[in-house]
Amino acid sequence: MPEKLTNVIIKFYDEYMQTTPKKLKIIDAYLLYVLLTGIIQFIYCCLVGTYPFNSFLSGFISTVGSFILAVCLRLQSNPQNKAEFTGISPERSFADFIFAHVILHLVVINFIG
Amino acid sequence: MARVLSVVALLAFAVVGQAVSPSTFVTSQDRARLKSVFEAAAPYPDTQSAYFSISGLKLLGAAIPNAQDACKQISKVIDGGNVASIYYAATAASALGNCKIEVPELRKTLTDAIKDDASVQDIVFAYLALKNLGLPVDDASTNKALLAALKTDDSPQSHGYAFLAAAELSGDVSKFVDNIEDVIAQADEVDDKYLQFEGGLFVTSLVVDGAYRLAEKTKKAPAVAQDKVLKFTNYFLSRKHVHQLKSAYHFLSVIKILTTNKFHVPVAVSRASPVAVTQAEPSVKVYVTDLLGGSLGEMTVTAESARHLGDDAVVLSKKQFTPVASDKSLFELNFLEAKPAKGFYKLTINVVPKKADPKLIGITGAEVEVKVTTKVSVENVEIGVADKDQATAAKTTRLVYPNKATNVLEADHHQKIVMKFQLKDKTTGQLLTAHQTFIRLTNLNTKEEIIFITEADTTLTNKFDLDVGASSKEFDSLSGKYSMELIVGDAVIENPFSWHLTDVSLTFPEGGETKPDKQSQYAKKPEIKHKFNEPEKRPPATVSLAFTGLVLLPLLILLILWIRIGVNVSNFPLSLSAVGFHVCLGAIFALYYCYWVQLNMFQTLRWLGIIAIPTFIFGNRLLSALASKRALWIAPVSVVEPVHFAIQSDHKRSRKHK
Repeated sequence: MPEKLTNVIIKFYDEYMQTTPKKLKIIDAYLLYVLLTGIIQFIYCCLVGTYPFNSFLSGFISTVGSFILAVCLRLQSNPQNKAEFTGISPERSFADFIFAHVILHLVVINFIG
Repeated sequence: MARVLSVVALLAFAVVGQAVSPSTFVTSQDRARLKSVFEAAAPYPDTQSAYFSISGLKLLGAAIPNAQDACKQISKVIDGGNVASIYYAATAASALGNCKIEVPELRKTLTDAIKDDASVQDIVFAYLALKNLGLPVDDASTNKALLAALKTDDSPQSHGYAFLAAAELSGDVSKFVDNIEDVIAQADEVDDKYLQFEGGLFVTSLVVDGAYRLAEKTKKAPAVAQDKVLKFTNYFLSRKHVHQLKSAYHFLSVIKILTTNKFHVPVAVSRASPVAVTQAEPSVKVYVTDLLGGSLGEMTVTAESARHLGDDAVVLSKKQFTPVASDKSLFELNFLEAKPAKGFYKLTINVVPKKADPKLIGITGAEVEVKVTTKVSVENVEIGVADKDQATAAKTTRLVYPNKATNVLEADHHQKIVMKFQLKDKTTGQLLTAHQTFIRLTNLNTKEEIIFITEADTTLTNKFDLDVGASSKEFDSLSGKYSMELIVGDAVIENPFSWHLTDVSLTFPEGGETKPDKQSQYAKKPEIKHKFNEPEKRPPATVSLAFTGLVLLPLLILLILWIRIGVNVSNFPLSLSAVGFHVCLGAIFALYYCYWVQLNMFQTLRWLGIIAIPTFIFGNRLLSALASKRALWIAPVSVVEPVHFAIQSDHKRSRKHK
């Protein structure tokens, strides 16, 4: 059983490394980064406490928001989903991504106190 | 008739046994006071006051000062047209003697006044004035006019005047005599003790005076029951402190007639010694006199009984008073021979004259109140301090009156002060209780006094427990030194005392409720200031720093991953739009940093608007360049439209953004 699981994981990893385009890998790395940051923030909040709450909240909203925006970017950039997002070029989705980030972080900074 | 009367008198006598005999008389002080009232009336403003003053002084047996001047004054103030004025003047003049009043019209005024339809008072005044002036008067017509006038006005006052006139009238006055009983019956009784007519002292004395004068003339006892006479007498004596000239004269006049008449002479039995009977003065002394304080001759005075007012114990009966040699009307009895207990007693006294005298009334059942007092000593005094919660015997000190304890007692709020003592009758050696037994605690600094009551138990031991903690309110929680005094007093204790027992030092818990100052509730209250939430304690700086580092760690991972994936940085187009776009993005985030640190929202939005324009332009151009590049590579035909579309929607968004 554990052998099988490792087999599956190895096979999954190999397939990912071979078939996924380079751009998506970059976005995935970014997603991992945001995820790890969010997890560390959460650990901090569990260990030390939420005070000051607004600062914690803005930081956490920042990571969660970034993660969601990145996922959207990845969905729109994925060549496999091209049929669903006809008329939306990768550049367009990147511009959206940047624009949404500007708005998100204006709110985050406003909230951070 | 006489027999019947005597039977009635005898019956009345039996009843009178219970009636209250006079317990006071007109003493020499009263005489002096009345004399000063009469003397103060001169010079006389009118004939009435001259009459009251001169007659009053004559009744007292005092000389009239400046008799000739008085006579002249009367002549001056007399009103020849007024019957009353002439009557008073004439009577005063005859009392003065050697005084002639000459007014031309008075004779006519007086004779005209005696007619059937005149008032009783005018008829009587006119008649008596004519008599006093020595002028001829028609008795028969006066008699007739009086009876006619009485038919229209039968008030006690009119009858009183009529009796006075009838006493002087010759001829048949039996109709007036018959009236006496009816008039007397109209008197009102007060408290079973007094009898009086409406109108007060004046009317009452007028009726009684007139009745006895008339009785003197007819030589027949007036139809007045003896108990009624005593009640009238009590009423008159209750008014002996009168100050008005008219009342003083009438009072003296009626007392005089009640002393000198031949029918009813009330006997006054009055206490001559102080009310308290003590070891030093063991005898009760009584005066037995007529109403003016005159002696009634030799008497046998017997104390029928002496009754304790508290428990009705009779301590003596039929004990004879011994006459005092120096004063014929004074009698004494050694009351303490009967060994009475302390308290109040009522002595019932009977008086029997040596030579039987039927006119004396009120000779049985006279009552005199005395009190037997005693000296007390305070014994078995113990004082100490005990713990509040322990019932064990406290350490106590014995004290002996009148010494003060040598050391100061100390007690705090967990303790109590315990004290007990007994009061002992010095003569009998018995324990007793006093009406007033107090413990007074005086703060030596503030002089404030707090008084407690001690209570006696069934063994007649007085106890006093002061729970210091529980009574802190009485003391206002004021710790300090207090002087402790025992106060004992009673009506029957001869030697009430206040004994400074000891000083006590009391300690109350701190911060006991302080008396709210009456002023302070109107004083300024402290200002209310807004208070922000207290910031919570922040975690130590090391923890925060460690997590800051930890948060930055994924960034490192990101870079490593990107390098491993192989990010193509060399492909970065070195065009103006690419550099400008990245610089502008950097500027936006720098602006956000400034916003966080110092700027406000409006400033930030203004700056953001300024930076957004080049960012948009550069971004648009860069991305269209990239898109067209990609389109050239993959599908040159299908490129144009999406890019165009993208630019359009970017347009929309940036407008919204602004």
